[in-house]
Amino acid sequence: MKQKLVLLLALSLLVPLHVSGNPGGVGNSLENMQCGGACHGDANQNATSNLQLSLQPFGTVWAGQPTEITVQISGFDTSHDIDQIGIFLLSSTNANNDIPTTDGWSILSDGMGGSNNYIEYASIDSNVLTHSWILRADEVGEKTLYVSVHHGDNSGTDAGSPFFGVSQAFEITVEAIPENLQRIDPEYQPPTSREVGDATTLCLETIAASDVVIEWREPSGESYQVETSQNNGCWFAVLPSALSASTIEWRAILDGEGPQQTTPWFSLASSEPTWEADETALMLQSIAHLVLFFGLVLLVRKPKRSDDEFKDYMEDSL
Amino acid sequence: MIESATFHVITTELVVGSFALAGLCFVLHSLKLIHNKESQFVTMMDSTAHIALLFGLLALPFAISSGISSSPSGAHTSPLLANKMLLSTAGGGLALGVLFSRWRMRTGDSPRHLHNAFGSTSTGCMLLTASLGGTYTRADSLTEFLPFVKETTFLLPEWMSIFVILLILGALIVRQTSSVKHG
Repeated sequence: MKQKLVLLLALSLLVPLHVSGNPGGVGNSLENMQCGGACHGDANQNATSNLQLSLQPFGTVWAGQPTEITVQISGFDTSHDIDQIGIFLLSSTNANNDIPTTDGWSILSDGMGGSNNYIEYASIDSNVLTHSWILRADEVGEKTLYVSVHHGDNSGTDAGSPFFGVSQAFEITVEAIPENLQRIDPEYQPPTSREVGDATTLCLETIAASDVVIEWREPSGESYQVETSQNNGCWFAVLPSALSASTIEWRAILDGEGPQQTTPWFSLASSEPTWEADETALMLQSIAHLVLFFGLVLLVRKPKRSDDEFKDYMEDSL
Repeated sequence: MIESATFHVITTELVVGSFALAGLCFVLHSLKLIHNKESQFVTMMDSTAHIALLFGLLALPFAISSGISSSPSGAHTSPLLANKMLLSTAGGGLALGVLFSRWRMRTGDSPRHLHNAFGSTSTGCMLLTASLGGTYTRADSLTEFLPFVKETTFLLPEWMSIFVILLILGALIVRQTSSVKHG
């Protein structure tokens, strides 16, 4: 019997399981390059991605102003079978403290309804993938950014391996903004997400701006202008509600003493209302579970009569 | 300073490892009892199961509290996280009951099948909780065949939870003070 049991246990360890790292991805988040020691960052397991990675800021990068950083990943040709890819925007390749927020950047938008440096695409539709982040540098000077990718690939000699790729360093020069140039307040945080059916009221704080126009565009690219009204230092505008889960983009066009200024396109993702339970009810039910199952174990035990104890005592004495 | 998410990984590894060992020992103990064999192996399985269960139970509060604090929006914002919390407290309650009743057993008594079944069930709860954690962080786990745990939570109203707590505590007190002595 003992031998059979050991044999059964040994065989159960040999049963091949469906083994793959994170086939559903890990979700958009703030991640360092090695993603917490994931397989893609493990030199003993990973394979080098041959996708081409580039990064480009849109126009001049002013300190304290939003800047669009566009990442381009190319090489998704027929020799690859990639169904999902994770893209990192990094400030170094140290594998720790390499999220841009640790190097004087603020991530205002990741283009997917959040403010993360790591985003995932569930599918790739063309040979070139382009994605934009909206960052804001807090000080003048030279900064460095990298783009990195994690993906699988079901073709080629390393099929099934966790692939890892990192770009060269891209130098970004952050310049001081001219004193009287109209601009967005350096503390302004654009909304990145909302629920389906909710309109969004923007309150855009500006400096040295005499007029502000808000422009927004649908996913199809069709754009609209929204009137603004100024009150208490804010330029108010209402972006219409979404009828289904989708992402619209908006930007501000600022007039003032200097040349007209246009902000990058800010993404605003609409999603279905999230599930939410009553927190107190959940806590109480957790306590109830603890007490119920503790009590259950004690209550189902067969009661022992007191005269049994007397009998035991007598047996022991004898 | 260690992050909550990292601490949660460490504590859940402790909980899962300890409970898995305990569960295996409970099952082996019962298998031996079926064959009615009194041996050193039986005593060894009994001791190992309960010590491993105790160790897992000690790590459990840290796993639960770090899990709650590492979730950005709280356990109440996802049915999967809510189920994780309910399962882990159910498993914790079972484990606590098993340890308490084992402690109250007289010297020379040996746990029987029902006791081992409760111990194994608490292990099952903990392993399922851990598996749900895999689903939450990696969107993949061995329990993908249970889709309802990701989308549905059976949540009682507050008054009913309080009623259950009072009912069980009342039953325990009545039983403790009754003329019948309980093991």
